[in-house]
Amino acid sequence: MPPRRKSTDQHDLVERPSRKRPLPADPYEVPDEDDAVPSAKRQRRQPEDGGTPSKRNATPRKQVDFLQRDLASVPEEPESPTEQTPSKKRIGRPPKAKTGGTPSGKPSTPSALRKKQVDETPIKLKGISGVDTPGRRGIADRSARRKSARALIDRVLEGAVSDDEDEEQQIAREIYESSEEEEEGDTQQENLADQEAELAATTPSKTGRGRGRGGRPPGLARRKKSPTPPRDLPPHEQYFYQNKPGSNKTSNNTLSSLDLLIHEEYFSLLRNLGQDPHEKHIDALQSQHAASFPQWAFELSQGFSVCLYGYGSKRRLLHQFAEYLFSSSGGNDTNNTTIIMINGHTRTLTFREILTTISAAIDPTFRLPSGNPLAMIQNLFTLLSSFAQKPRITLLLASLDSPFSPLRKPQTQSLLAHLSSHPAISLACTVDTPDFPLLWDSSLRSSFNFAFHDCTTFADHSKELDVVDEVHELLGRMGKRAGGKEGVAFVLRSLPENARKLFGLIVGEVLVAFEDGGGGGGGTSGAGDFAAGGEGPGVEYRMLYNKAVEEFICSSEMAFRTLLKEFHDHQIITSHKDSIGTEYLSLPFRKEELESILEELMS
Amino acid sequence: MAETHDENPTLSEEDDHRAVYIFNPRAGHHTSLPQEKTARPVKKRRVGSTRAWSASAADHAGVAPHAEEETETTTTAAAAFSQLFGGKESLEAAGLRRQVFDTAWPVLDGRIKNVLREANRTTLEDVSSFIRDAEGDATRGTRIPAGFIITGPNIASQDLLFEQLSEALGKATQARFVRLRAAGAPNLKAALKKVIRDATAQVSLDGGDGDEDTEVALGRDGRKYLDYDLEGLHAFFGVQQDSSRRVVVAFEDSEAFESSLLTDLLGLFHSWQGRIQFSVLFGIATSVELFQARLLKSTARQLFGAKFDVVQADLVLDNVFKSAIAGTQATLRLGPTLLRSLLDRQRDQVAGIRVFISSIKYAYMCHFYANPLSVLLADEKSLTRQLLQPEHIQAVRTLDSFKAHVEAAVDARQLNHAQLLVEDDGYLVRQMVEQRQKKQDYLMQLLRSLHLLTSMDLVPGRFTDLYVAALAGGLDLTPTIDGIKRLGADDVPALINRLLTAIRTGSPDLDLPGWEDEAEELISSLCEIRDEIEALAEQAQEKGQQALKSKFTAQSKVLRTTVIAQKVQLSQDTAKLTDEDKAFGKAIDALVDLLTHHIYSDPVDSLFLHEAWAYDAEAPYRDVFVPRPGTTFERALTRPHAYLGCECCSKTNGTLSATLPTTCVLYRLYLETGSLVNVADLWSAYYALVGEDSEDGGLGEREALVQFYHGLAELRLMGFVKSSKKKADHVAKVKWLL
Repeated sequence: MPPRRKSTDQHDLVERPSRKRPLPADPYEVPDEDDAVPSAKRQRRQPEDGGTPSKRNATPRKQVDFLQRDLASVPEEPESPTEQTPSKKRIGRPPKAKTGGTPSGKPSTPSALRKKQVDETPIKLKGISGVDTPGRRGIADRSARRKSARALIDRVLEGAVSDDEDEEQQIAREIYESSEEEEEGDTQQENLADQEAELAATTPSKTGRGRGRGGRPPGLARRKKSPTPPRDLPPHEQYFYQNKPGSNKTSNNTLSSLDLLIHEEYFSLLRNLGQDPHEKHIDALQSQHAASFPQWAFELSQGFSVCLYGYGSKRRLLHQFAEYLFSSSGGNDTNNTTIIMINGHTRTLTFREILTTISAAIDPTFRLPSGNPLAMIQNLFTLLSSFAQKPRITLLLASLDSPFSPLRKPQTQSLLAHLSSHPAISLACTVDTPDFPLLWDSSLRSSFNFAFHDCTTFADHSKELDVVDEVHELLGRMGKRAGGKEGVAFVLRSLPENARKLFGLIVGEVLVAFEDGGGGGGGTSGAGDFAAGGEGPGVEYRMLYNKAVEEFICSSEMAFRTLLKEFHDHQIITSHKDSIGTEYLSLPFRKEELESILEELMS
Repeated sequence: MAETHDENPTLSEEDDHRAVYIFNPRAGHHTSLPQEKTARPVKKRRVGSTRAWSASAADHAGVAPHAEEETETTTTAAAAFSQLFGGKESLEAAGLRRQVFDTAWPVLDGRIKNVLREANRTTLEDVSSFIRDAEGDATRGTRIPAGFIITGPNIASQDLLFEQLSEALGKATQARFVRLRAAGAPNLKAALKKVIRDATAQVSLDGGDGDEDTEVALGRDGRKYLDYDLEGLHAFFGVQQDSSRRVVVAFEDSEAFESSLLTDLLGLFHSWQGRIQFSVLFGIATSVELFQARLLKSTARQLFGAKFDVVQADLVLDNVFKSAIAGTQATLRLGPTLLRSLLDRQRDQVAGIRVFISSIKYAYMCHFYANPLSVLLADEKSLTRQLLQPEHIQAVRTLDSFKAHVEAAVDARQLNHAQLLVEDDGYLVRQMVEQRQKKQDYLMQLLRSLHLLTSMDLVPGRFTDLYVAALAGGLDLTPTIDGIKRLGADDVPALINRLLTAIRTGSPDLDLPGWEDEAEELISSLCEIRDEIEALAEQAQEKGQQALKSKFTAQSKVLRTTVIAQKVQLSQDTAKLTDEDKAFGKAIDALVDLLTHHIYSDPVDSLFLHEAWAYDAEAPYRDVFVPRPGTTFERALTRPHAYLGCECCSKTNGTLSATLPTTCVLYRLYLETGSLVNVADLWSAYYALVGEDSEDGGLGEREALVQFYHGLAELRLMGFVKSSKKKADHVAKVKWLL
C-alpha cells in the first residue's frame, strides 16, 4: 500500500493538534492521542467521565481511555468493555478485580487489537515515512469534530461574538463539515474491527500469532501502541522514547518483492541517470571552498593541521587542493615540497605503507627498516633531521574517519598525531562522519593542532563507496559472503567431505523448494517469494537434520550444528525462525546460481 | 549525479584505488602496479631533487644554504598572502603584511616557550636531582626510586610536562626515558614490550644509523630474545656498553592503570633492580594517598618515593597570558570578547595550554591574513607613503572608529580637523602616522596602570580578568579606593614603597621596563605623602596616641559593629580625631587623588584606528577550534538549499520534496523512524515521493532504486545506520543527537 502524498498530510498533522488544544505536560502522551491504532471501538466503550478533570478538558476521551487501561487498578475499567461487548462476556470469566487486576475483558481485547494491528501493517509504514493514515486522521478529525460541535453549540447558547472568537468559530465549523465524509469510512472500519475482535475472542487458537510476536503481558503490550514518536521531542528524549523496551514496532514488510540491484545494473543505470539537477550548485559550492585554498595552505605552513568536515565527498576538493599546493610551491622537482595523497577509505591501507611512502618521498635511496610503527616514525624523523634544508611533506588524507580503514583505530590516531606534530610534516585531512571529534582526546587533539573548516560539498561519494556492496552489507544480504558461487566452491573445497555432502543436500532441498513455488514453509515471513538476489525459500531445520542422519552425514545434532556453523561463518547460509519458532535454513543465492553450485558439487 | 564529470583530468579512477601515493600531476599516470608504487618516486626523485637535497645535506657548510633559505622565504612570503581589496591590494602591501606577521609571531613564540620552560623548571630540576641522587642514597636499599608528580587533572598539560621531563632526564642522567599511558599498555606484556621497545629505540635517535635498532632483539652472542623479555633489554645494555643502565619509566596517567598491572610491573622492576636501574615516575591527578591506597602494601614497600608539585595549569596560563597577550612585545592586541571566550574555554573545557597558544597564533594569522589595515603595524621604514593605496585610505574612512573620531571632532567644534580627515588624504595619512604614537602611549598607560594596580595587592581577582575588563570597559582606581582608605598608618608607607618599586623595576613578566624617568613627578609626590605620613605617625606617637586614625578607618571599624551602634559611634569617632588624624586623612585623600590621576585607561575600542592593531573577532576562532559538526550536518541534510542556494529546494520550506538530494530525503525519513528502521518501508516511502506516480518525481523504479541505494550507502558512511540482525531487511538507527 503506497503512502499517500506527503507534503499536505504532514502539514495537517503538524498543525492540527496545536490549533485545537494545549499540549499535555507529558510529551509521551501525545502519541496516544493521534495514535495509529484506531480502536474506534474502545472509544465507544469507554464512558466519557473516565479521566481526571484537567485531562478531560485538555484531551479527548480516547487518551483517557488509554491511560486507564494501562493502570489495571482503575476500578471502573473492567466494567466498560464487558458491558458493551456481550460476546466477550460470555467467554471470559466474571470480573475479578483483585486477581492481579486482570479484567475479564482483557484476554480477548488486547489480542483483538493486536490482530488488527497486524492487519493494518501498512499504517505503520506511515510511521516511518511520517505520513498520516486515513484512519488516524479520521480519529483526530473526529475528536476535533466533536469538540468543534461543542464549541458551536456553546457559541449559539452564549450568543457572544467577538473578533477572534469569530475566527475560531469559523475553524470549528470547517472542521465539523469536513469530517462528515470521513465518518462513513471510519464506521466501516469499526465494524470490521468488531468482527475481528469477536473472531479472535471465540477462536483462541488464532490469537497465537499475535501472542507469539508480542509475547508480553497484555498491560505491556498495550503500552507500546504508538509507532509514531511524539513530535518535537528533543533528541535525547526521543532516544529514550524510542529505546523503551518493546517500543520497536516495525512492519514485517521486506524487500523480497523487489529485485535488488547488482553491480552491472547499478552502473548501467547510473550512467543513464543523467545529470543531477543540483550539479551546478554543487560546483558553485565547490569553487567557494576552493577560494580558501590559500588560507588552508597558510594554516598548514604555520604548523596547523587542517581538518575538513561536512556532508558530501571531499575527494575532489582535496585533489584540487593538492594541485593548488603543487602549483604554488613552484611545481618543479627542485622544490622540496612533497605532497602525499592517502585514501583513507581504502580498506587495505596500512600505516606502514604511509610511512614507507613518506620515506621514499624524502629519499628514495633510503630503506626504512620495517619494524613497529613507532620505531619507524622515529627513524623517519632521524632521516628528516639529517637534511640541512628540511624537506616539507604535506600529507593529504581523505576520509580519516572512514569506518573501513584501519586509520580509525586509536593507536593509529596517536601515531598520526605524532607524525603530524613534526614541524616538517603537515597534515590536511577530510572526515565524513559527524562524530569525528570523538576520535581524539584533548591531548591528541592538541598534538594534532587542528584547524577545522566546514566543507559541506554535497558531492556524491560514488568514488569512495561501493554503493551496492555497502547497501547489501547493511541489509545483511550477501554481505561479506565469500564472493558468489566461486567463493562457495572455494570454501567448500577447504571443508571436509561431510560438510560438502551436507551443503549439497541443502542446495538440493532448497532447489526443490524453489520448484514447489517457493512455499517451503518460509512463507510466513514473506521470504518465500521468488527473490532473485534476496533470500530464497527456506528448508526446515528439523527435516534437514533427519535427512542428514539418513544419509550418514552426521550422527548427532551436535555434529550437525558444528557443520552448519562453518557455513554460517562463511555466510553462505542464513537461518531464521518463523513466528511459531520453527527454524528455517536458506541460501542467499539465486536459483541459477544454486543450480550451478549443485552441478559443481556433484561433479 | 551519474558520472561525475571531473573537469580536472588528473583526478582519475586510478588514484582512488591507490591507498597512498605521491602527488605529482606532471608525472602523468603510471600503471599502478604495486611494485611500481614505491619504485616510481625513486625514478622521479633521482632526476630532480636528489641533487639539491643530498648536496645541501652533505656539502653545504652552513652559510650557503642559509642564504638560499632566506631568499626563498622572502619570495614565498610575498606570494603567501592573497591580495585583498578584491585583488586590488598591491603585492608589496600583501607581502608586507606577511612580513609583519613573520616577525611578530616568532618573538612571541619564543617568549611563550620560555615561559613554559620556566614554569616547569624547578620541578624538572627536582625530579632529575632526585633520580640522580637516589642511586647513591644508602637508605634506599633495593627499593625503586619513585617520583610522584602531582600534575592535577589537566591531561593536556601533562603531555608537555612529560616531554620536558624526558628531555631533562635524558640530559641529566643519561637515562632512557619511557612514557607509558594506560591506553597504550593494557596488560603486562604490552607494557613490557613498550618499555623495551622505547628504551632500545631511543638510541637510534642520536645514533643516527637507522640499522642499529633492528638488532635489538639480539644479544651479544646473537641470541634472540622475546620482545617482552627484560633479559633482552639487559643484553642490549651489554652490547651498548652502557654502564649506567638506567631506565626511567613514567606512568603518565597513573590513575588509569589497573592496580594489578602496576603491582606486577613494579614487582618485575624490583627484581631486576640489580641489573637494570629502573626508576619510575607517576603522574598523579588526585593525591599520593589515594594512589598508595590502590597499591598492595608489599608493592608500596618496594618504592622509594618523593613527591613533586607541578605549577598548576592556571598559573602557567596566567604567565603565558602576561607575556604573550598583555605584554609589550605583543604586536597585536586581542580584544576583550575574544579573550573572554578563550579564557572561558580554558576554564570550562580544560583545553590545555597548547590549544590556548594555538588560538593566540590563529588570531594573529587571521588578523594579518585578512585585514588589509594590518599593514599599518609595519615599522616606519617599510611602511612608505607609496604603499598606502587609495583603497587603504578608503578602508580607514569606513571604520567605526573613524566615524566616532570625526563625530567627536565635530562635537568638540574642531570642524576643520574633521573636514580634513574626511576630504584630505594626506592629512588623514599624517593622522594615521600620529596614531601609532598614540597607540603606544595608550598601551603604556594601560600596562603601567595595571601593573600599579596589581602591585598594590589590594585588588582581588586575577590579572587576566583585570586586563580583559580594562580592555572592555576601561580602568580606574575605583575598585581599590576603599582598600586604600582603610589602610592604617603603617600600611600606607608600605603601599607607597611597593608602588615605588613597581615604577622603578617595571614588570619582567609583562616585559615592561621601569619608568622612573618619566614618572618623576609621581615619584616625588608619592615620596612626599609617605614622608608626611611617617612624620605624622611619629608625632602621634610622641603625643602618646596609639595609632593614627583617619575618618575612613574609623568608619570601617564601626561598620563591623551593629547598625545602631554605627551612628552613635561614628559621630563620636569624628569628634575624637586629633589633628594628626585629620592630617593623615588628608594625606590619604591626596594619595587617592594622585593615584586616580595616574591609574586610568580607556576601553580599547575608543581609540581611533584600533581596528588596525586590535583583533576582536570571536567567530573565526570558534569555527576553527570548536567545530560543531552536528549542526553542520544537520543543516546540510535538512536544509540543503542553505548550502546549495538552489531554488528548487528553497521552496520546499521544511517539507519533503522530490527535488531534495536523495540523502536529504532519506535523512528526513530517518528522523521519523524508531530505533529500528524497516528498509522496505523506507524504500516504499521514498519511492512514493520520487517515483512515477508522484507529482514531481517521475523516476522509474530502477532509477529510483539506484538513488535510494546511494542515499542509504551515504547514511551508512556517515554513521547514521548500522546493520541489524533483529529483523529481516531492517537497519538500526544509531544517531539521535547530532
